[in-house]
Amino acid sequence: MPTEAIDPPGISWLRVSPKYVTVRLVEWAFGNLIAVAVLSLPLVFRLAGWWEWVPLWLAITVPAVTLLLAVWRLLLIPRQVRAIGYAERDDDLLIRSGIFFQRTLVVPYGRMQYVDIGVGPVERGLGLCTLKLHTASAGTNAEIPGLPADEGARLREQLSARGAARLAGL
Amino acid sequence: MTPDSAVTPPGGAGPGPTPGIAGQMTGKPDGEWLRVHPASPFIRGWVALAAIGFFFGRDSFERLLQGRPLMDDMYTGRVPFLLAGGGLILLLAVLGFITTWYFTRYQVAEGYVRVNTGFLFKQQRQARLDRVQAIDIVQPLLARIFGLAELKFEVADAGESAVRLAYLRIDDARQLRATILARAAGLVPDPGQPEAALPEAPEYAVLSLPPSRLVGSLLLSEQSFFLALGAAASVVLSAVTESRQIYFYLIPAVLGMAAAYWGSFNKGYNFTAAISPDGIRLRYGLLDTQAQTLPPGRIQAVKVTQPPLWRIFGWYRMQVNVAGYGGPGSNGEGASRTMLLPVGGLADVMRMLSLVLPDPGTPDPARVFTAGLTGMAPAGLPPAGLSPAGPSQHGVISEEAPDGGFLTSPRRVRLLAPLGWRRNGFTATDTALLIRSGRLWRELVVVPHQRTQSMALHQGPLARRFRVADLVLHTTAGPVSPRVIQAGLDEARDLFDAQAARAREARKRQTSEQWLTQVAPATVVEPVETKDPDKLDHRHTPDHAQNHQEGPHHG
Repeated sequence: MPTEAIDPPGISWLRVSPKYVTVRLVEWAFGNLIAVAVLSLPLVFRLAGWWEWVPLWLAITVPAVTLLLAVWRLLLIPRQVRAIGYAERDDDLLIRSGIFFQRTLVVPYGRMQYVDIGVGPVERGLGLCTLKLHTASAGTNAEIPGLPADEGARLREQLSARGAARLAGL
Repeated sequence: MTPDSAVTPPGGAGPGPTPGIAGQMTGKPDGEWLRVHPASPFIRGWVALAAIGFFFGRDSFERLLQGRPLMDDMYTGRVPFLLAGGGLILLLAVLGFITTWYFTRYQVAEGYVRVNTGFLFKQQRQARLDRVQAIDIVQPLLARIFGLAELKFEVADAGESAVRLAYLRIDDARQLRATILARAAGLVPDPGQPEAALPEAPEYAVLSLPPSRLVGSLLLSEQSFFLALGAAASVVLSAVTESRQIYFYLIPAVLGMAAAYWGSFNKGYNFTAAISPDGIRLRYGLLDTQAQTLPPGRIQAVKVTQPPLWRIFGWYRMQVNVAGYGGPGSNGEGASRTMLLPVGGLADVMRMLSLVLPDPGTPDPARVFTAGLTGMAPAGLPPAGLSPAGPSQHGVISEEAPDGGFLTSPRRVRLLAPLGWRRNGFTATDTALLIRSGRLWRELVVVPHQRTQSMALHQGPLARRFRVADLVLHTTAGPVSPRVIQAGLDEARDLFDAQAARAREARKRQTSEQWLTQVAPATVVEPVETKDPDKLDHRHTPDHAQNHQEGPHHG
């Protein structure tokens, strides 16, 4: 299926650090491997002969499907990370993400209320950070993950300065 | 009589036992620390007092009824202790009430309203007056009996009220509201007479809702539909299973429904809307009454909906997003506070829209908004994107644009939305974006350009197959969530760019939160100059006439 980007043409996107893939991999491992392990327990019990009531096909299918989905998600991670982009325009910030479920977000500088920088344990090890913008709307889910720390700091200063210059009320 | 407000020195940190000055109800000087009405803790805490009384009194009362001695024999020797214990608990409760009352003080000064609470853990809240989003005066039944009222002052903060003053005497509450609104509007108190009470802004009635229509709207509402469906299902079920037991299990459901109906009736009863220079005034309530004031430009988004059965009478419902009111789920009263019009005809809707959006930004608002409410793209039209009559980049709707200038989903999505594709669409006037959707549950969302926070384009795999995308406009928490459904990809992109530009322009025009000092307030103040309430919507009167003529063609 051809994937046509939904964002307006003619925008040069800045991409996040490729090291962010590692962060996503760790998150993936925590979520999915544990799920697969737990769902495999009935199969183990069955093979060990402790549980007789579990149908063998069910004990195999459930973890197998979960594993398949997990691997599918794993393979998507590098592409998803490459799909994240942001662009600073004169009056607003654009953020795009997603391949299958695409999203392009525009946040006017004048609407920003504050800017957060968050650093998780894995991100800290890699020198990355996550920038988060807040407007008066809870629906604005504006996050740029996987920024190099100095780029994050630069962006925050830049956004704060531009926000202060263009600040509008609600 | 107890003076309503014990006065402490202005800005005084300590609650010094300054003598109260009676007769200062009107014209309180700026910066004075005031207390709420002394009876208020009892009105708020009457449930607790009643519970204590019930707990201790029930047994004795039952014995009295049965003609037995008041106390069990084994307790008679300890009556004094029991009485002392009960009295002590009561005394502690009352003392607690009095302490909270004594240490709760408020002040309106220097562009802020401040409230100090707490005895051990002190808390000071302050809210900027020019950030006021809405002021409500609420009167629960008990407070109403005593002539008291609660004042709620909302700033841009989802969920929790910034400042709640419970309870004030109703006249004081109105006076305080007038003061706050005047300061928020940018009126500077006269330095010569700082003590002069600010007069309440005059207001002109716009519409009132007859109880018969409210009852009719409740009977034809969605919940009635599901109630009838449930009743039919239970009758069938009991006939099939040949047991009457099922009716027994329905009792709680019926009670719940009755409570819901009563709630809607109680909240919607005697609904009146009025306009004043301070904004839109809404009043409603049967037992508990509420008076809301929404200052100009504080409404973030409006939604007009029509459930299928309401189409019989051409009724609509209007809901708004106001920063600070939050969503309907955040607290129980949210659903009624965000209701701009519980039920009304097309003329009422147009009148309320003209209050919310004084400048519709189009030369022919009636046609555009009617198309938004009831219109549908003609079936035989070529894909709307190719139509030259669609809204241009600058949002100017050409005069002869069909269907009010609405740009609907392209024909190719009729498999995705077989009913809605001719209805789902958007158009932009100079001041607002109009989004309509729904063929059975008709819906029109109006978002002023000035109020657009941020936006996002969304597209899932299925939508990509059909080359369509959704545009979501982010607004403050509330019942309205604007979303352009399944617009053609190119149109959606154009709208994304154009809307960002329009919002930018609109933000530049708005310079001040103080609405009297705003650059272009003329339209808001306009109704004040016309003393005759009938002339108030003079500008829109021809529109109404036109609506009635146009309605059938679009429906």
